[in-house]
Amino acid sequence: MASDTSMIDGTTAVLPSRPRAADQRGVTVWATLRSFRIDIFGAIGLVLLVVFWWGLTFVVPRSSLPSPLNVFRRIADDFVVADMLSYYGLPETGLMGSMAYTAANVLIAVVVGGLIGTVLGLFAARVPVARAISDPILNTVGTIPILVMAPFFLIWFGTGRWSAVLLVTVYVLVILYLFAQRAAENLDPVYESSARTFGAGTGDILRDILIPGTLPQVLGGIRIALAGAWGLEAIAELLGAQQGIGKIIEVLAGSLDIEGIFAALLVLGIVAVIADWIAGALVRYVTRWSVSARVGTT
Amino acid sequence: MTRTAERWISLAVFVGLILFWQLLSRIYTAEIIPGVPLVPGWDVLVSRTFLSMADYWGGGLGVASVGEGAERSYAAAALSVVTHSWDTLLRLYVGLAIGAIGGTALGLAISWSVWSRRLIGLPMQLIQGLPLLAMVPLFQLWFGTYFIGKIAFIGYGVGVLFVAGTLNAVRNVPQIYIDNALTLGASKLEVYRTIIIPAIFPELRATILLSLGVAWATVIGAEYLGAQSGLGYILVYSQQYGYVDRMFFVALLFIVYASISYAVFNRVSARLTRWVPRASAPARVA
Repeated sequence: MASDTSMIDGTTAVLPSRPRAADQRGVTVWATLRSFRIDIFGAIGLVLLVVFWWGLTFVVPRSSLPSPLNVFRRIADDFVVADMLSYYGLPETGLMGSMAYTAANVLIAVVVGGLIGTVLGLFAARVPVARAISDPILNTVGTIPILVMAPFFLIWFGTGRWSAVLLVTVYVLVILYLFAQRAAENLDPVYESSARTFGAGTGDILRDILIPGTLPQVLGGIRIALAGAWGLEAIAELLGAQQGIGKIIEVLAGSLDIEGIFAALLVLGIVAVIADWIAGALVRYVTRWSVSARVGTT
Repeated sequence: MTRTAERWISLAVFVGLILFWQLLSRIYTAEIIPGVPLVPGWDVLVSRTFLSMADYWGGGLGVASVGEGAERSYAAAALSVVTHSWDTLLRLYVGLAIGAIGGTALGLAISWSVWSRRLIGLPMQLIQGLPLLAMVPLFQLWFGTYFIGKIAFIGYGVGVLFVAGTLNAVRNVPQIYIDNALTLGASKLEVYRTIIIPAIFPELRATILLSLGVAWATVIGAEYLGAQSGLGYILVYSQQYGYVDRMFFVALLFIVYASISYAVFNRVSARLTRWVPRASAPARVA
């Protein structure tokens, strides 16, 4: 992909940066936990957002914009079982169960795609022949808007769980391939050279240098992939699935139930934001020794 | 291994893939529905599949549509490909332009005051966290499935990215530039006009390229779920009938258009940020 360099650099601009964590020397578990604390201005901002939304409902007709109170009530009502959806023959109508299904799919895809992508990326960075073979294939896949593949997967694998999982897996794989490859290339060769001088074998280098050295950037890549994975999984379910939060949105859109769509989207968005926070905290904890992880989000 | 050797291997892989596809189409001749092979070879794609694009031509310009009872013709197929591509690309670039301009303007407005900058932090995180592609139905209910609905959705997706990118870029402008100008008696407006706006542009380059990816994803997503024209519409319509060859043909068009757009954006933005001293760029790399 022609733009991969900038795209990867660019993702730092998109992610919310956390300068507070960067200030702390020797990030401990405590500091990691503390970075979760919500700043007072942010909380006020959030309240203002809800107030703005509420104010807007007086101007915009209710059929277009439900009031925040109704949406929150709807989330509470439909959390375990949604009575309105029970006529559609869905195996799971509650927001919680649907969200769990979607989250499980995203998790599988991120783990599988992340592992394969990282292994391929590291391999390509160190074995030129492998790189010459995998680069054209994966870079082409990277240029394709990944959503183009969705109808193909639906035809080949049906509307079950796996066509959506595969779509997200491919997406994660391509990102992690680029991130791992870049990370391995950016690793100062002096580490490996000096280890070899001391008689380290390939296995030692892999275990002691390549994997720990690339981990901060690889985890950063996982976090970026995770952010995009939710929407991709949801639209894959919208296009054809038996259950999941995307399926719920599809059914609700069919009956023009905008309040329900808001409720489902909000649940999905909140889970996505929380997952990003957890992933961010995990990245900071695992890479607390790393200067580069402390300086930026990458 | 030398760079040239690597290039040759890469080229060989590409040619190998193309030939493998052709070979596969000869060996595996199963048909998903009568007349539509599961693996359409290149000969089928450029002849029969291309011709079938005539089905999506609505008529006009002296070329009758299939719906009017005419035979499929290459003229109708070509016109169909051109018009549907035009629809998709127009939505893409109009949405992109609106989102970029609106998002940058909003980002600059928010960064005007320290207070609004602080207040926006958490809400922005939540808005960015809302999975964009899941919001297609919402935008369709709000703005309809026509042109406005599409560009509103693309513009929103791109706009959110630009607001975040602008806020980030403004924050990264070295304080000393601003202090210096203020000491010399510049007003806030002058600081924005002469320092901040030129200074954020190189940083926005990454956002611009990233937004292109978002724009492609959103235009395809929007066209999948309710559109009367465009390449995404043809793709998902063909999927419902199992026309794998047509899907493949349209997917190839998407790949070509997306690759061209990335190459052009990369080239143009590299040229526009040529003046940036190299030393200031790695600040982001970390």
